[in-house]
Amino acid sequence: MQIFCIDEFKAEFEKLISKKQYSTLEKEIIDYFFHKNTDELLSGTRLNNSQDTPYIKKRVRGKGGFRLYFLVLIRKGNLYLLFVHPKTGPFGASNITDESKAMLYKNVLQAIKNNDLYLLELDKKQKHLIFLRK
Amino acid sequence: MECATKDRIKNTVDEVRSTSFEEKINSSEEKINSFLDAILDFKGMLEEKTTKILKLADKLEEITWFTIDDNECLMLLNDLIAQSKDLHSTLIRNYTHFAALKTKGIAKEEVKEYKAAIDDFKESFSDLESVFFYLPELPQFKETTRELSLL
Repeated sequence: MQIFCIDEFKAEFEKLISKKQYSTLEKEIIDYFFHKNTDELLSGTRLNNSQDTPYIKKRVRGKGGFRLYFLVLIRKGNLYLLFVHPKTGPFGASNITDESKAMLYKNVLQAIKNNDLYLLELDKKQKHLIFLRK
Repeated sequence: MECATKDRIKNTVDEVRSTSFEEKINSSEEKINSFLDAILDFKGMLEEKTTKILKLADKLEEITWFTIDDNECLMLLNDLIAQSKDLHSTLIRNYTHFAALKTKGIAKEEVKEYKAAIDDFKESFSDLESVFFYLPELPQFKETTRELSLL
């Protein structure tokens, strides 16, 4: 499965990992998404009632209590990370609004259409994410 | 030695003797142990409640993977959300009692985990409501789903 992200995700990720409190985020993302097959990633809250292109919100019950928003295009074997926010700490939020969820959803559609995405890969030690502009 | 002085010393000896005897009979170690046992029981009860609440939150999440398109099921979901809101109010009321203990340093971590589980539960039923009642009503959201299905 190829993993991509949109600008919003990259910006939020970089903002969060600059804070010591959220230092586990990168590892949590790697552990959760990489080296997994599609079925293993189809859990959490499905926001769009779609079988083929589920838009998912995942609660990761780690130290930061991160919430990850992503879309899976099952037919293409692609996963798109849309957004991340922690539950606690200086950038913590209990949830995002329905309008924000809809906006992110629209943004990923546009990004896929325009090929305006980053491909996510791991570095040689498999410890850090690399964002490659497509 | 004056008689009065002697009596006072004797009285003090008696007092020390009886206190010593009482301490031996009514061991405070036993009381401390039962107090610590009560704290452990309390922690265990909180952990049990926390696990139960998290399981409920997971169950609510799982429902979002069902395809629900008839009004009868939607009505059931509406009941489920209402019941969940009611349960949440009760849990928060209970939490306020537990939080008082937390401020005294008792079961701090367990009370924190319990509150986090209540928050997760609230998030789950709020999301459930969004998924089946609010997001499908946003025209932009429906259109995006349609366009994505064509990719």
